[in-house]
Amino acid sequence: MQFNITVIGQALIATLDGDLDLHTCPQFKDALTKALDTNSNVKNLVFDVQNLTFIDSSGLGVILGRYRAVQARGGKLFFVKASPHMQRVLKLAGMHRISEFVDSTTEVLNRA
Amino acid sequence: MKNWIELVFPGTSINVSFARAVVAHFAAQLDITLDELEDIKVAVSEAVSNCVVHGYREKEGNVVIRASYEESRLEIIVEDFGHGIPDIEVAQETGYTTLPEERMGLGLTFMREYMDELHIYSEVEVGTKVVMVKQIPARQAG
Repeated sequence: MQFNITVIGQALIATLDGDLDLHTCPQFKDALTKALDTNSNVKNLVFDVQNLTFIDSSGLGVILGRYRAVQARGGKLFFVKASPHMQRVLKLAGMHRISEFVDSTTEVLNRA
Repeated sequence: MKNWIELVFPGTSINVSFARAVVAHFAAQLDITLDELEDIKVAVSEAVSNCVVHGYREKEGNVVIRASYEESRLEIIVEDFGHGIPDIEVAQETGYTTLPEERMGLGLTFMREYMDELHIYSEVEVGTKVVMVKQIPARQAG
């Protein structure tokens, strides 16, 4: 699994490529935590999941954990280009109640 | 036609993706949709992750997967020989987890949602066996 994390303004944008599961999530979690710790102005978490080929509850746990961190800052959670299967997994986990499914990161950045 | 496979591998996180890929390849011998394959991959991933995280934790041990199909019935058994589950009813509650910092407590919920049947057998300090069944309906060609 490969990922790229960028901070633009108050948004942390994480682009994921590959499978996010029990084995790959610790590295992603550490990188997200570090980025949030060093960018205390970040409020919104934007996950570009267009090339995310798999996610299970281990991966969702990492995302939810980081969301809780920004929730205290009044932040929001966005998923960019989630496939129908990805949306189904996210909905089953109840993530649709705390996030928005959007078509591009630009869409989120333009709101700021 | 009946067919089956048996996999034995160490219960470590690096084998989670291997396990779901192998079972998905096996299931692909059936007339199966991509959505059904994704369902199976999530269910197997959750079951094996539970073996690693909850079954063995700091212990080492093997995970055994037996997958079989006959006509439209696909059965997947995932077994560990670790700590076991003290209270299966409580463990099946959505959101229940013994590791709240990292886990969402959705593993069994996902298995139940993505498969047609889920049966759990567990004994403390003996191990846990999860039996999952998915019906793959026959489809018309074309």
